[in-house]
Amino acid sequence: MTSIEVHDLHKVFQTKRKAAGLGASVRALFKPEYREVEAVRQLSFQMESGELLGFIGPNGAGKSTTIKMLTGILHPTGGDAKVLGYVPWKERQKLAFHIGTVFGQRPQLWYHLPAIDTFTLFGKIYELDDRETKKRIDFLTEAFEIRDLLETPVRKLSLGQRMRCEVAASLLHRPKLILLDEPSIGLDVVAKQHIRDAIRRMNQEEGVGVLLTSHDAGDLEALCKRVIIINHGQIVYEDKVSNLKRKHLTSKLVEVRYAQEVPANFHLDGVEVLKVGRYGVKLRFDTAHTSVDKVMAHLSSVGDLVDITISDPPLEEVIAKIYREAPTRMSRRE
Amino acid sequence: MKKYLAIITMQLINNIAYPGDFLGRSISIGIFLFIFAGLWGTTFRIAGTDSINGLTFANMMWYLMMAETIELGRPRTNRIISEQVKNGEVAYILNKPYNFLMYHFSFGVGDSLLRVAMNIGVGLLAAWLLAGPPPSLLGWGMALVTLIGAWILHFCMMALIGLAAFLVEETNSFELIYQKFVFVLGGMLLPLDMFPEWLQGIARALPFPYMMYTPARLFVKPDVELFWQMLGVQWLWVIALVFLLAIAYRGSERVLTVNGG
Ligand SMILES: Nc1ncnc2c1ncn2[C@@H]1O[C@H](COP(=O)(O)OP(=O)(O)OP(=O)(O)O)[C@@H](O)[C@H]1O
Ligand SMILES: [Mg+2]
Repeated sequence: MTSIEVHDLHKVFQTKRKAAGLGASVRALFKPEYREVEAVRQLSFQMESGELLGFIGPNGAGKSTTIKMLTGILHPTGGDAKVLGYVPWKERQKLAFHIGTVFGQRPQLWYHLPAIDTFTLFGKIYELDDRETKKRIDFLTEAFEIRDLLETPVRKLSLGQRMRCEVAASLLHRPKLILLDEPSIGLDVVAKQHIRDAIRRMNQEEGVGVLLTSHDAGDLEALCKRVIIINHGQIVYEDKVSNLKRKHLTSKLVEVRYAQEVPANFHLDGVEVLKVGRYGVKLRFDTAHTSVDKVMAHLSSVGDLVDITISDPPLEEVIAKIYREAPTRMSRRE
Repeated sequence: MKKYLAIITMQLINNIAYPGDFLGRSISIGIFLFIFAGLWGTTFRIAGTDSINGLTFANMMWYLMMAETIELGRPRTNRIISEQVKNGEVAYILNKPYNFLMYHFSFGVGDSLLRVAMNIGVGLLAAWLLAGPPPSLLGWGMALVTLIGAWILHFCMMALIGLAAFLVEETNSFELIYQKFVFVLGGMLLPLDMFPEWLQGIARALPFPYMMYTPARLFVKPDVELFWQMLGVQWLWVIALVFLLAIAYRGSERVLTVNGG
């Protein structure tokens, strides 16, 4: 079952160009100049129900615009989309019963009131009966570990605590799909982990589909099964996260320490030696060209190994590389 | 319908959580009335009469008390909508299974209820001190009934101005113009009875008197025939403006751009 189907979705924003200076401002009053921004260009993709899909891209790539169209808030300039069988911008209210949304940069909980009040209000808005709402709140407070936070006015919560309440609120009505626009923005490592765990749990236990946008490769690694990378409103990469890692995380970083001094002329074909110290070396190689086996054999032949660390470059780097390579890829396709 | 009641309640609770704001606001009605008492007291003295165009000093004060209650208690939907469009919060409002306009209507009701109650309380006290006992119960009854239509008319106008925020960034200037119309043609500054015939004619052809003058006038001089007549016209305007608002909403939905994110 597909839950989202998007074909050639397109969005052009017209913004009035603000001229500098009085003369230009007056002129602009009578004859405003418009600038067109193609925020989303011919976007096509699908998402299966219950899937965990990551949508990543640099600032201004068109992620938020896409989410807004998929929830029906914005009307597209062109193209089609179906979300859970509804055309979002035509059947926004019907769709609203089945999806949850969180826009990480702004609150939906009533700011001056405790979160529990908003939860109860949402129960009414989504037409749940009071008993059901209460049961659901109990479940969510446990899943998101927010029991102690519910009675505190939202404005007094930390960002991390608030975000947990925000995401929990978006799940109150048992949506089949949640769309999260940068849910982890501004959170520290622990708070991010907290949110990710809770989202993963909801996905596993209730099969809720998750489409999330992020700048954080950590969100991808921890949560998503599949990733779509967009830049300048277009898809530049689309694959399983595991494939992304396998194909692009091929370079390895190795650090070794020996019991004896290392020969200064340490060298191995196909391996880039980054640093040679008195008792240790640091090197990088690509598993696509040089076998791990060969490297290990050589390293142990040099002396007695005391310590060894092998690490992947951060996924961030890989993604940044994909952004950089994207324009050439696109032009080749044309 | 239960959900809209819940929104009203929520906004009531929200206001009660912040009593400072509306307490300050309701004191201002006392100050207004005090200033107007001075102005009208002098005017009546200089004119050397007990009544001007059928209205006594006491009538004037109670008229102004009701008019100020309406002005200070009217919904501020325009500001809320344009604020939500500017900061992107509108995304959440549109993403819920309720009608956008009904949401704002309920929110406005919740917002106004407490303010109107407070203003009536403080206004009653101030006007009583300045001008003697309040009008009859019949006056109260007619005022409260026509207050409902008046509030809805204010809401429609404010929401229409608010929807303009879907198109243009700034809507404050529209509100200023609108306020001037209510101020003069709505009878906030002066009861319509004090206007020359021709200006009364113009005003009565517009919705503004039914948003302000109608409840205030019936309050101080209850008149059964006038009540039914004004109530009828008021609700014709309600129907017309609700219709206009619904059409405007359908049109503006398509052009909405949500900032930020
Ligand atoms: N309301 C608007 N009016 C005009 N242009 C807009 C509007 N909203 C977005 N844009 C433009 O559309 C493009 C895509 O914006 P969008 O917010 O979708 O990016 P994003 O991928 O969410 O970026 P970020 O990671 O910074 O949140 C940007 O160039 C932005 O300037
Ligand atoms: Mg964004």
